[in-house]
Amino acid sequence: MKQLAARLLAGVGVLWGAATLTFVAIHFSAGDPVLAILGGPDAIPTPQQLAQVREEYGFDQPLWVQYGRYVGRIAHGDFGESYRLRIPVTEAIGKQIGATLQLALSAALLAIGLALASAVLTAKRNPWVRRVASASELVLSSSPSFVLGILLLLVFSFQWPVLPPAGSNGWQTLILPTIALALPIAGMLSQVLRQELEDILEQPFIAMARARGLSQTAVRLRHALRHALVPLVTLSGFIFASLLGGAVVTEMLFARQGIGRMMLDAAVAKDAPVVLGITLLAALVYVGVNLLVDVLNGLIDPRVKPR
Amino acid sequence: MPINHWSRFGLLLGLLLVSACSPDAPPPSSVQRVDGHLDAQGLLSYDPGDYHETRQGTPGGTLRMSAALDTGTFDVHSSYHGNVQWLARIVYDCLLYQDENGKISPWLAKSWDVSEDGKTYTFHLRDDVTFSDGAKFNAEALRINLEHMRDPATKSPLAAAYIAPYIDGRIIDEYTFEAHLREPYSPFLYVLAQSWLSMVSPKQIREAPKSIAEHPIGSGPFVLQSYTREQGATFIKRADYHWAPPVTRHIGPAYLDRIELSIVPEAMTRYSTLQSKRSDFTLDAPAQNTAAMRASQNLVVRNRIRMASPYRSVTFNTLRFPFDDVRVRKAIAQAIDRDGLAWIAGFGELLAKSDYLAVNTPFYDPAYRDVLKYDVDAANRQLDEAGWTLRDAQGYRVKDGRRLSAQLLGFESPSFPSNVAVAVQADVKKVGMQLTIQMMPLAQLTDRRTAGNYDAIGGGYWHTNTPDGLYILYHSDSRASPTKSGNNLSNLSDPRLDQLLGAARRSHDPVELQALYSAAQQRLTEVVPAVPDFESQVLIAYRTAVKGLIFDAVHNTPFFTSVWLDQEAP
Repeated sequence: MKQLAARLLAGVGVLWGAATLTFVAIHFSAGDPVLAILGGPDAIPTPQQLAQVREEYGFDQPLWVQYGRYVGRIAHGDFGESYRLRIPVTEAIGKQIGATLQLALSAALLAIGLALASAVLTAKRNPWVRRVASASELVLSSSPSFVLGILLLLVFSFQWPVLPPAGSNGWQTLILPTIALALPIAGMLSQVLRQELEDILEQPFIAMARARGLSQTAVRLRHALRHALVPLVTLSGFIFASLLGGAVVTEMLFARQGIGRMMLDAAVAKDAPVVLGITLLAALVYVGVNLLVDVLNGLIDPRVKPR
Repeated sequence: MPINHWSRFGLLLGLLLVSACSPDAPPPSSVQRVDGHLDAQGLLSYDPGDYHETRQGTPGGTLRMSAALDTGTFDVHSSYHGNVQWLARIVYDCLLYQDENGKISPWLAKSWDVSEDGKTYTFHLRDDVTFSDGAKFNAEALRINLEHMRDPATKSPLAAAYIAPYIDGRIIDEYTFEAHLREPYSPFLYVLAQSWLSMVSPKQIREAPKSIAEHPIGSGPFVLQSYTREQGATFIKRADYHWAPPVTRHIGPAYLDRIELSIVPEAMTRYSTLQSKRSDFTLDAPAQNTAAMRASQNLVVRNRIRMASPYRSVTFNTLRFPFDDVRVRKAIAQAIDRDGLAWIAGFGELLAKSDYLAVNTPFYDPAYRDVLKYDVDAANRQLDEAGWTLRDAQGYRVKDGRRLSAQLLGFESPSFPSNVAVAVQADVKKVGMQLTIQMMPLAQLTDRRTAGNYDAIGGGYWHTNTPDGLYILYHSDSRASPTKSGNNLSNLSDPRLDQLLGAARRSHDPVELQALYSAAQQRLTEVVPAVPDFESQVLIAYRTAVKGLIFDAVHNTPFFTSVWLDQEAP
């Protein structure tokens, strides 16, 4: 219990750090926030409007005052209002996050499923099978989602129009983006998993299990896989980061709604409250995932004791 | 209206996809690709049927259409997004409209009078117009709308500036409104016809102004049914609508029952859904696919020119070396091959340009269209005369031990793609000038721009429905300062030009206006604050089943009230 409390405290520290870093990064990056609020570089706000916005948003205050206000507000769960959309950030994110969660979850499931299947089926098998699997994983893990996405679009939407190329309504629109987002992650994961599985299959206890008369498949599924899962769980941070990064590109390409696309638009338009909101949300999920990983690792491998 | 932020991502993908089939030889001219007829004098005339209904349509059906970008808000007073031009027309109406010759014509205002001193405008309003929440359109509604545009809380990036001279208004009777201006400002009537200055329900402005962004209430031919940001919107016909602008000759409600708009940033997808009949209409037809679309029997491509300022390849900072010398500016303008630029940037769809007003702008004068045309010999002569006679080892011109060299800043956009930047660099090198290019993110460019820290900036255009766009880009009042934003990036301060553009703001006499604006266009070719390279154009495409398309005479964008679907078409 005490350990959990310490971990939670550390999590809050990470969030505070993320908030501070983002604040600093946005403050020192190029572009005047007043112009962002008033429509961008080509807009023609009147001098009165400029002065009014500067005061309303407190940009005329010293930096530390702005920072203090900002931390105070987010501590109360107030993420402010989007410069561009003119609605509360929480509302803006709330409307977009469902679509991203759907995509991320389905892509994670597909990636993990594919990686497990490939690793279990090919580890220490016929060298040719192994070589083909390993080569395709290498290709997949080094293919960016947008290249895969374009290929998928060309084949399944344009050449043979079986799946819709755009949108985020209905399960059909989820298929192509899920595949585009999942494949590079699956490629990476299955490389790690096979390596791990092959190491484990060398272990004496596997020979013991075989000696007890268990079938090859049963050994792999019941004994070896359990051990191989440990790095998978540890890699969930990587999976999460890939999903988030990939979502930006995938959502653009397949014209899906979602926070990835929203983040990109916000960053380009220097919509600081939205960028901060999404960054903090990502940090929050990241902290949560890592906490969960520690707990899960303890369950899967009793030798790992949470310190 | 400024840079249209087409998705850079989409552009990148587009480039990736088309790089394999990049054009190698420019065609003789892109004139035939532009809608309308361009005569020998350089004047463009559109088919009158482009602006008014020629036959009655068949009601019914759903139009499925795509656009590259979402405006992010329906509160058009708080927006400067380019898509507002056609989007606002679906749910809103304006006080005024324009006819095909650019003359102001009635819409929600039946008529208007301007006082002798040009400072009092009296509008006589229609008395039969309602908003979709039941609120009446009347003088009070007009007053509330003007207040909302300039209310600091609206944070208007465009509408507020367009009505800046407006002081206050007086309600004479329910349907008569008198607007008082600080000074004579003849563009007032023109800007009131623009989509960014549409009329919103006064009830909504008073009771829930924040809700306009997502649940707008207008008096337009359609009502917004649902809207998901970055995804799309659905509009349904308003059955009791009967106040389309008289110029359009449309009577009664819109023909279409529904419009389904999808936001599709990926150019390839916009094209392929059209081709596979999964969509009927795209407002952002990808230039790289227009050849295929024009060849298709089931698709129609339209290529329209935005009024006011064309795309610019270079805007010179006239305060800095070497562009503080007008001879250098003129030489660079003559050294740039616009036909070449138009070809590499627009796949034959763009119309090259070397003067400062779009061909379809009211009071455009084609007399000066060739003054700055591509002429390498003339450019070399200019530079010799300016004293840049010596050359260094690399072949660049030198004067007083200093190389003729400058830096061009840019931001990847449709008006200034990187390949145009590189072509400009190569062109000016031929006359002995070194131009280094720095492409940067928009925010960084904005900072350099605000600080005045640049030799030259690439790209940009300004769309408005009056030649007063020249005031916004080249009058000394439009220079930026730490407390004031402005679009005169050249920092030009030419008393003669200022006098002409200022006098035009005070005049309502068409003959006088023509004389003033002609002189201003001539003056611009003498002071050369920038290099126009091609017209700012809008490409749309639709299936042949889409009938009755007319264009908004204010923005030259599609006007959906009169569009109908031929249900029997293939």
